Amino acid sequence: MNIIGPDYLVFGVDDLVACSEFLTAFGLTPAGVDDKGGLFEALDGTGIIIRHKSDPDLPAPLPTATMLRQQVYGVRDDADIEAIAAELGKDRKVHRLADGTIETTDDFGFALKFQVTKRRKLEMPAEKINAPGAPAQRGPNELGVWDGMPAKPRMLSHAVLFVPDIEVATGFYCQRLGFVITDVLKGAGPFLRPKDNDDHHTLFFIRTPEYMKGIEHLAFHMGGPTELMVAGSRFVKSGYESFWGPGRHKFGSNWFWYFNSPLGTHFEYDADMDKHDDEWIAREAPFGPEASQMFLLQHREKWVPGGGPKPDQ
Amino acid sequence: MRLCQTDGIPEGEARGFEIAGFAHKVVVVRRGGRIFAYLDSCPHYEGGTPMAWKADRYLNGEGTHLACHSHGALFEIETGECVLGPCLGQRLTKVPVRISPSGDIEMVREPAEEELG
Repeated sequence: MNIIGPDYLVFGVDDLVACSEFLTAFGLTPAGVDDKGGLFEALDGTGIIIRHKSDPDLPAPLPTATMLRQQVYGVRDDADIEAIAAELGKDRKVHRLADGTIETTDDFGFALKFQVTKRRKLEMPAEKINAPGAPAQRGPNELGVWDGMPAKPRMLSHAVLFVPDIEVATGFYCQRLGFVITDVLKGAGPFLRPKDNDDHHTLFFIRTPEYMKGIEHLAFHMGGPTELMVAGSRFVKSGYESFWGPGRHKFGSNWFWYFNSPLGTHFEYDADMDKHDDEWIAREAPFGPEASQMFLLQHREKWVPGGGPKPDQ
Repeated sequence: MRLCQTDGIPEGEARGFEIAGFAHKVVVVRRGGRIFAYLDSCPHYEGGTPMAWKADRYLNGEGTHLACHSHGALFEIETGECVLGPCLGQRLTKVPVRISPSGDIEMVREPAEEELG
């Protein structure tokens, strides 16, 4: 059961114009978007699909404030679709669509879809750094930053869900779909990665009351911490609302910067996440500010220290 | 303290104001010809978090409620009560405002201790 990770997250929104503006400003590219919505994609083709909340083609909404309507997981090939259909068909209805994809729901009613992944293979360099004692990653005359440098989300990274019962959620994704727990924040929940993805997490749960069930945030991978800072700074300068960050998480080691959105969830830029294999033994830490971040910074307007009073003062 | 002219906030719209000394902005919204003002501070998390998704974008898409664009919580414009979302049953902190004789929207009180930045 080779699940790679989320290809798309689908939202039913109440303001398509505002959401289109937001997603484009965040750095995603409209791909076949019309007045009914559509896909806004990262560089590898993963991304966010928006429709109006009344669109009859959307899966049913959860009875909460969340606008998330479906998680679309990419798998390696048709055999994986068959394996998932056989497993989940044991105790729930699995709909087969004409295009070979399947749809069902998890144990809390979150709608799921599985498809042979549509993501494109990226071939791009990571952010390069120079440090004494190590070979230079940027050669002579190769600049680290410049005005107008690109800082586009490369890939849909992960989703974080509010769920009422961690045991049930973990049981479904691990025992039924083969996800692996990489680390646990006790009091919140576990970080999960699918078997076929070595990222520290593509999914994280936070335990909440039933009436909060939904998506807490979603994240896109950037090319490195500098791209994250550049994208976030530009976003703030354009008037968008920072929620948390920039900073660097402990579990996963990924840099983060979270923003409010008109999709009723936070959008995170992340960068430089840890990779894991099956040899890894999950760590545990109590959920709280100390365990959640190595450091936390806050954006401020550009400023420069000068040499003191000007000569004529 | 003066926030803006009354016509600075059209019917059915909201604006956020930074107030010296306040840790949070003040959101002013006009509905049915009446003016309502709250701290820009969603009660979901301790200490409150800002609610807009972009400068002055505080309302939901239909313009029926103040919204927190963290998790989609909806608040009644007239009462500040959360009617959907993580802070269900909690309220936004009301900020008393009045219209001055010259047509300005003014904040009536000084910030409380816990509101100071």
